[in-house]
Amino acid sequence: MIEFDAVYYDGRTSARKAARVQAYTQSLYVTGEGGFKLEVPLANVRVEPPLAGTRRILHLPGGAQLQTDADAALRALFPRSNRLETWVHALESRWPLALAGVVVAAAFSWWCVVYGLPLAAGLVATHVPVQVEVKLGEQTLASIDQAVCDKSDIGLAKQDKVRQDLAALTARLDDGYDYRLEFRACKGLGANAFALPGGTIVITDALVRLAENDAQISAVLAHEIGHVRHRHGLRLAIQAAGLAALIAALAGDAVSITGLAVTLPTALLQSGYSRQLEDEADTYAFRRLKEIGLSPKYFAEILARMEGQKRGRAAAGTDGRGGFGYLSTHPATAERIERALSAP
Amino acid sequence: MVVPSTEGGAAANTAGPEKRYAVEFSASAGEYFRIWIVNLALTIVTLGIYSAWAKVRRRRYFHGHTRIDGEGFEYRGNPIAVLKGRLIAVAAAAAFYGAARFAPYLIWALAIVAVVALPWLIVRSMAFNAHNTVYRNVRLRFRGTYLKCLGLLLWTGIILVVTFGLAYPYFKARLMEFLFRNHSYGTTEFAVPDLSYLGIYLRAVGLGLFVGLAVSLVGWLFGTALPDSRSTASVIGTLVGYVGYLFIFSYIRAEIANATWGTVRIGKIRFECALRTNDLFVLYLVNIIAIVASLGLATPWALVRAMRYQAQKMTLFAEGGLDSFVVAESAEVSAAGEEIGEMFNFDLSL
Repeated sequence: MIEFDAVYYDGRTSARKAARVQAYTQSLYVTGEGGFKLEVPLANVRVEPPLAGTRRILHLPGGAQLQTDADAALRALFPRSNRLETWVHALESRWPLALAGVVVAAAFSWWCVVYGLPLAAGLVATHVPVQVEVKLGEQTLASIDQAVCDKSDIGLAKQDKVRQDLAALTARLDDGYDYRLEFRACKGLGANAFALPGGTIVITDALVRLAENDAQISAVLAHEIGHVRHRHGLRLAIQAAGLAALIAALAGDAVSITGLAVTLPTALLQSGYSRQLEDEADTYAFRRLKEIGLSPKYFAEILARMEGQKRGRAAAGTDGRGGFGYLSTHPATAERIERALSAP
Repeated sequence: MVVPSTEGGAAANTAGPEKRYAVEFSASAGEYFRIWIVNLALTIVTLGIYSAWAKVRRRRYFHGHTRIDGEGFEYRGNPIAVLKGRLIAVAAAAAFYGAARFAPYLIWALAIVAVVALPWLIVRSMAFNAHNTVYRNVRLRFRGTYLKCLGLLLWTGIILVVTFGLAYPYFKARLMEFLFRNHSYGTTEFAVPDLSYLGIYLRAVGLGLFVGLAVSLVGWLFGTALPDSRSTASVIGTLVGYVGYLFIFSYIRAEIANATWGTVRIGKIRFECALRTNDLFVLYLVNIIAIVASLGLATPWALVRAMRYQAQKMTLFAEGGLDSFVVAESAEVSAAGEEIGEMFNFDLSL
């Protein structure tokens, strides 16, 4: 027989009664304040799982309950209830195990973020139809036009020439994309080009002017084609959504994670993803340039010119990002130039 | 742990048969840290599924450690119900996100869906929380109806639009009245008189003007004193702005809680809430700094501190004790409303 003290509530009012419980193999016998007596079969008792520093609660039939601190007695009486939570409670009760939790959590999230998400995003991206990508690209272009870019000032003859070069680069690729080129004058972006999902490549007037020859522009286009073919835009969008979901899942229990604490790592991780993608696009560009008879050295040249211009702007204090080298979305440019020059 | 006060100062309050009960908060940061981190680890390892159990454990822990007259609160949310709610919430969020992203022309339809769904979310989540919050084996109850909530939101919404948002104090007061008046403890209904937060918000606006002035003053001082330090000035200006905002936030929070809880009656229970703006402000500031500096690891400590302070400042006075509240008949409530609400990040706290 096991015996313990408890507080009894009858399930009808908030009146508290002190009680003494005697437990035999089949039943609980409760006697208490005011002389009430009660017999409850053990099978009809539902026990709340243990939780640090709180009383255990036993739900009796009819909404009555017993509350007690006699944890050991309950463990002996109900060895098989709440197995999951009893195990969790054991984890929560020991510092070494809890600290191991920190390690597990950190290691698993690191794995998810570094390998799991890109892997999953890549898998999902291959199953998204090209039309969806085209749609996504159109929207992105529309929002860019609204926010940062104006109509191009580049002469039509020059535009036609660059379009012909793009046609040469994309000839017989047979990857299902309809490559299109858009010229834009974008003030804040400097000499730049970007690939939208679905095959649209945007090139800024500043970049066209910065290039010393058409081959350098072709080199940039080859890089952007690499982004399109590898569906980088879509993959980034999926990864961003996945990352947001992951953080939301974690923050769900962390409650008061501040806005800053969430957005900052997101931005950092995103830029880490971009670096992998830039490398992939570079590799593709080197190969494609060779295939159509151009040297990857043109890519090295235009990169060097873009970097030089950026430095110039940073020195002049107009490029606010001057000091934040590590936030750069392109891998250290010198490294990329090196790779272009030594491309097999 | 029975706490009829023995303090001399409280003697006036305990005149007559009215008894004074302090709200105790017995959670410890170390204990909660272990629960929190185990929750986090299991949630990650199970790809989010455990989060439902995690939420229930967190709630149970904080409810259980909030004690009045030595008796802790009880949280009875069922993890499976929470999980179902979460799955529905994830599906709804995905549908919303997908539609907004790929079919922006549906945005008006989505807005209408949101307006129609919002009262449902509010009512359901209040009901789920109330139903699962138990004290002395008596459940809280929320009986606000969808139609009443919709009517309230439409009416105050129109007034908000017409007044360009200036009627926010009016909206807030009506919403709080709606939330409080529809709660009951067992069969005993909560009562509040008509609320008005106008004075509180007017003073908050005054504070806001003062902060704005301070920010521009800082910007101007740094901008003129050191011509090279425009960016430093803007950083400091932004920082002062945020701290100022936090102070105003603390002010509104403290004043509204004090004013509202001071008027709530549950049968013969009344409350005294004595939050102080300065205390809350320092508490939040230290919490934010600690959380950021510890990369989030101080979150449990910060949370426990905040809840302990709020509990300490709450006092209950009950004529005839706490033994005579009667349990109400009630049906089970699903968790979907609350989980969807959480997913879209709105929080209603009493």
